[in-house]
Amino acid sequence: MKFSFESLLNAGGSRLTYGLLNLRILGWILYGFTRPGILVPSQILSQIIRIGVQAIPMASLVSLSVGFILAMQSSTELGKMGADSFIPDLVSLSLMRELGPLLVAIIVVGRSGSAVAAELGTMKVNEEIEALRVMAIDPIRYLVVPRFIALMIMLPCMTVFGNCIGLVGGWAVCTLEMGMPSSFYIMRAMQRPELWDLFSGLIKTAVFAHIIITIACYQGLNVEGGAEGVGRATTSAVVYSILWIIIADTILTGLFYFIL
Amino acid sequence: MSPTSKKTNPSSDVILEVKDLVQSYNGRAVLNGLNFKVRKGETFVIMGGSGCGKTTLLRILIGAQKPTSGSVYLFGEDITKASSQELDRIRLRFGMNFQFGALFQSMTVGENIALPLQEHSQVDPSLIEMIVKMKLELVGLTGFENFKPSELSGGMRKRVGLARALALDPELLFSDEPTSGLDPVMTAVVDQLTLDSTRKIGVTAVVVSHDMASCFRIATHMLMLGSGPRQGEIIAEGTPDEIRANPDPFLQQFVRGEADGPIAFRLSQDDYLKHLLQEG
Repeated sequence: MKFSFESLLNAGGSRLTYGLLNLRILGWILYGFTRPGILVPSQILSQIIRIGVQAIPMASLVSLSVGFILAMQSSTELGKMGADSFIPDLVSLSLMRELGPLLVAIIVVGRSGSAVAAELGTMKVNEEIEALRVMAIDPIRYLVVPRFIALMIMLPCMTVFGNCIGLVGGWAVCTLEMGMPSSFYIMRAMQRPELWDLFSGLIKTAVFAHIIITIACYQGLNVEGGAEGVGRATTSAVVYSILWIIIADTILTGLFYFIL
Repeated sequence: MSPTSKKTNPSSDVILEVKDLVQSYNGRAVLNGLNFKVRKGETFVIMGGSGCGKTTLLRILIGAQKPTSGSVYLFGEDITKASSQELDRIRLRFGMNFQFGALFQSMTVGENIALPLQEHSQVDPSLIEMIVKMKLELVGLTGFENFKPSELSGGMRKRVGLARALALDPELLFSDEPTSGLDPVMTAVVDQLTLDSTRKIGVTAVVVSHDMASCFRIATHMLMLGSGPRQGEIIAEGTPDEIRANPDPFLQQFVRGEADGPIAFRLSQDDYLKHLLQEG
């Protein structure tokens, strides 16, 4: 049977549910690989800067703080047991497996997810989405797909960067406060985690990126009722994204813990 | 009969044909069995009071909304039965000038006009730049390429909207309330631009408006939609002279802009005294 992109691109016609939005994003990405010009690199790059690069300072600050907190909190209890040397292990593992992906995702929800929902919602209210349709330009391809690709690229990058910054936070506490040699901290922090710890965090990050951008776009494109509707969509985008990120995190952690 | 022939209506000079069009919301018919034709070269004005269904009709005509029943033949093809891809192909043949311009706020004026060209033509970027300048000259806004829509007045935004609608040199132009909210001079300017588009460039125009002076200035054919007790009906249709001469009191009240007449002041059907004395 011949595969038809058309069925994916036009799934549901003008009626847009969350499932159809996902199908159409998939359709346009697959179609974009076969037809040059469908996905515009300059648009993706501009979204990478707007929803990714510009969120780096905030994500870095949070990661640095988490590194500090993890090291300080663990030093109290581990110190009592004479297990100070395990603090770098704990900081690096916690950041890579869990806290890095989760906290960076939450920062991106608050900063970029809400911005995307508000931007698309305002465009809907101002008839800009309607204008795109009338000009025979699919809003999913033109507005959603570049944002989707941008976040799928940027969230893992930001998480890895955030993990490094968090490790610096842990290092600052261990070396400056506890007198641990830097070389020892770096050796422990780098040796203990396995490649899978990094990958498991990155798998979570990819799932979180998908959740953030699809929920933000879905809420934005379905705005009804003017400014009040835009506000409602923005709130819903943030609340549902965080909710589903935490649910997905629980499921993935369970999956990695029990199965893999 | 092939499936394609079911969807086509090969009437040579008819660009748009509406047949038995019905649009209902919760059982209430907003448009009730409309039938009319727009011929090539006409400036077809659809008039009617607030809430009579003008915007709903326009949304159906551009394929943004499916009607409850009936057909809309655009360039001979029934858009109510067209797939998304067929509709996109038809949409390349018409332009739409939105009531408030619907300009992309994140783009400059030039980028707004260039967008349909970038998306649907293989034209060189330098040529696109030239076409943008030509379209801006057409609407009297030469030199405004790098302005953001937020830096423009309402009238200028409407003019940029018109320039964008004409970017792909469409055969048909839809215009939603092109003069609402404009001062008399700007109204005359926008009317002149519509006339220029139709008479000089040869575009067929379908204009939705309730500005009577503007309607009579630009129309070659007019249609009046009813409201209140005559909601969803066509009250009158004809040339501007025929509309002026039509004795229908509903139409005459609207044309003269009189407060007293068959067009109800009160839109509610509820009994006022009962409503007033009702508790809670």
